[in-house]
Amino acid sequence: MNIFVLNCGSSSVKYKLYDMKNEKVLADGRVERIGQDNAVITHQPAGRDKVSKTMPILEHTTAIRESLNLLTHPEHGVLKSVEEIDAVGHRVVHGGESFSDSVLINERTKDILDSLASLAPLHNPANVTGIRAAEKIMPNVPQVAVFDTAFHSTIPPYAFLYAIPYSVYQRHKVRRYGFHGTSHKYVSQRAAELMGRDIADLKIISCHLGNGASIAAVHGGKSVDTSMGFTPLEGLMMGTRSGDIDPGAIFYIMKQEQLNLHEIDSMLNKHSGLYGIAGVSDMRDIERDIANDDKLAKLAYEMYEYRIRKYVGAYVAAMNGVDAIVFTAGIGENTPSLRTALCANLSYLGIEIDEEKNKIRGEDVEISTPDSKVKVFVIPTDEELVIARDTMKIV
Amino acid sequence: MDIRRVAVLGAGRLGRGIAECAASKGYDVVLFSQGAGGQDALRRIEKSLDRKLAKWAITESEKRLILGRISYTLDLKELSKADLLVEATIDHFYTKQELLRTADHLCRPEVVFLSTTSTLRVSELARGINRTDLLVGLHFIPPVPNVPVAELVRGSQTDERAVEIAKQFATRLGKQVVEIHESPGLVNPRTLLALVNEAAYLIDEGVCNAQQADKIIRESWGMSQGPLEMADRLGLDLVLNWMEQMQDAFGQRYAPCPLIRRYVRERRLGVKTRLGFLAYTDDDALKTDSESEQEGKRED
Repeated sequence: MNIFVLNCGSSSVKYKLYDMKNEKVLADGRVERIGQDNAVITHQPAGRDKVSKTMPILEHTTAIRESLNLLTHPEHGVLKSVEEIDAVGHRVVHGGESFSDSVLINERTKDILDSLASLAPLHNPANVTGIRAAEKIMPNVPQVAVFDTAFHSTIPPYAFLYAIPYSVYQRHKVRRYGFHGTSHKYVSQRAAELMGRDIADLKIISCHLGNGASIAAVHGGKSVDTSMGFTPLEGLMMGTRSGDIDPGAIFYIMKQEQLNLHEIDSMLNKHSGLYGIAGVSDMRDIERDIANDDKLAKLAYEMYEYRIRKYVGAYVAAMNGVDAIVFTAGIGENTPSLRTALCANLSYLGIEIDEEKNKIRGEDVEISTPDSKVKVFVIPTDEELVIARDTMKIV
Repeated sequence: MDIRRVAVLGAGRLGRGIAECAASKGYDVVLFSQGAGGQDALRRIEKSLDRKLAKWAITESEKRLILGRISYTLDLKELSKADLLVEATIDHFYTKQELLRTADHLCRPEVVFLSTTSTLRVSELARGINRTDLLVGLHFIPPVPNVPVAELVRGSQTDERAVEIAKQFATRLGKQVVEIHESPGLVNPRTLLALVNEAAYLIDEGVCNAQQADKIIRESWGMSQGPLEMADRLGLDLVLNWMEQMQDAFGQRYAPCPLIRRYVRERRLGVKTRLGFLAYTDDDALKTDSESEQEGKRED
């Protein structure tokens, strides 16, 4: 079975084609700058040279059609025709309370997705545009929506509710939803496989540390809490996002700086986090600046690590223990020093790190020593594979 | 038709605001200005973006992206590349009609024209051009990037398709579009002018000074600026021009207060001359009440 996975943003489309017999990636690629004359399409057939071209691509239907043209291209393609695609899996950021699992897309699904646009205005409308575009091109191919929020639908009400008037939840569905669900699901399942144990018996803390970052407490294979909340702004310190902040400080800042809603929203989402403290948002730049004795870079790094440590501690308490901690995504996978610093501060859990293994990159690796009471893993995330698996399961 | 390139005629406060707003929503914008104001317009747009940057509303890279989408030219032939035209020049009937006529010859025939006029009738402006059905009145309210509403009027021959394009454009710029009937002054300018005129009379009669009038109105009605500051930011010469046109249309109740005439005569025009009803810094910021009062008295 061939499954075409699509991740549509407002001006980009990322795609991956899987042969699900052996979960092999046949090709992947991306279209960027949709809406412009100089859109760029990059296509990578497995084991062959990458192809890139610049052309006018004004909307998503054309972007997907061009991707399919490359997938069926006589020279760069991996399929004879589009007919060989058995199903399409779409990444959809927000499923609200309506979707607790991946679903087959029909008219009703699309209506509900339209109604959820206000919960994720930057992402959901683009996801739905991608769904409609793919349907137009492949009307007879089943389409499946896989939600970033769905994995967290098992979080109990005492953890997902905010302590504000209950009527606000009832009227506007303001609650913790959590994000990066497909990633937390993938790496926690993979950790259980690597431990050779049934995930139903495990307590896992999964740390997805990318430009956006979140932690999830996964008990028995189910998410029981996560650091991102109603929006992806809550929780850990991130590249440019503040993470947790006293709401009272927000009102005070707005008053003192005479800021409107858009300005404070932009400040917390785009000017804060590592960038807000150190002036750079990339962890590699932070490490470079620390090497040059930059005090603010060092402070940002310490704050970043401390916030993760606090959440790990909280989730150990939430689950009454932990069997494994998993690191994934850009920073989680590629910053050994951060893992060392963090785990050194978690020695009360009996965690010991093998520094040699901690240096390995690009593969699934257990970085804890055999004596460590809690296993620690680095597992490169594969959200597209989760989407492909869910899609196969549904069709 | 897919709209990507927007031509903005006029590089005053309204034109600059529309250009900045359109560019920040992804449109390529060509700003046209007769005279030397164009380069200054780009500089002022950059200044406006810098103010946003200082308030964390945008990032450095967003600022560069927005500026990169705006170009300026004196060459009206560039209009042939536009997908949509926004006319944002001063409300002088013959000047505006002449400019629209020129644009009518240069733009592709299917291009919709939006006029920001607030005191002239769209139906009358449309008489001078061939595309009578493609002219829509769309009044953006300055400061355009911050005001989330726009007034739309159709002329007697305006086509539904053109209205739809105007609505889509304004909506993409983040404006709620309110369609009203064609009438000089529309809703915003007409009510603002009445308020400004009455406040001017209060000052002229010695009931209060400009700071006091603005503070009471602003704070009691929850406005971000008082009407006198708004008038200063529009330019008192423009305000007077509007009032005279409104007086032509509606009679004595819009007769400008003599104080406004005096200020315009003395070139006390508002922000652009640093002094109007109130006083302003070189960065266009409102001076404090006491500074403003001192400067006002000195000039009086």
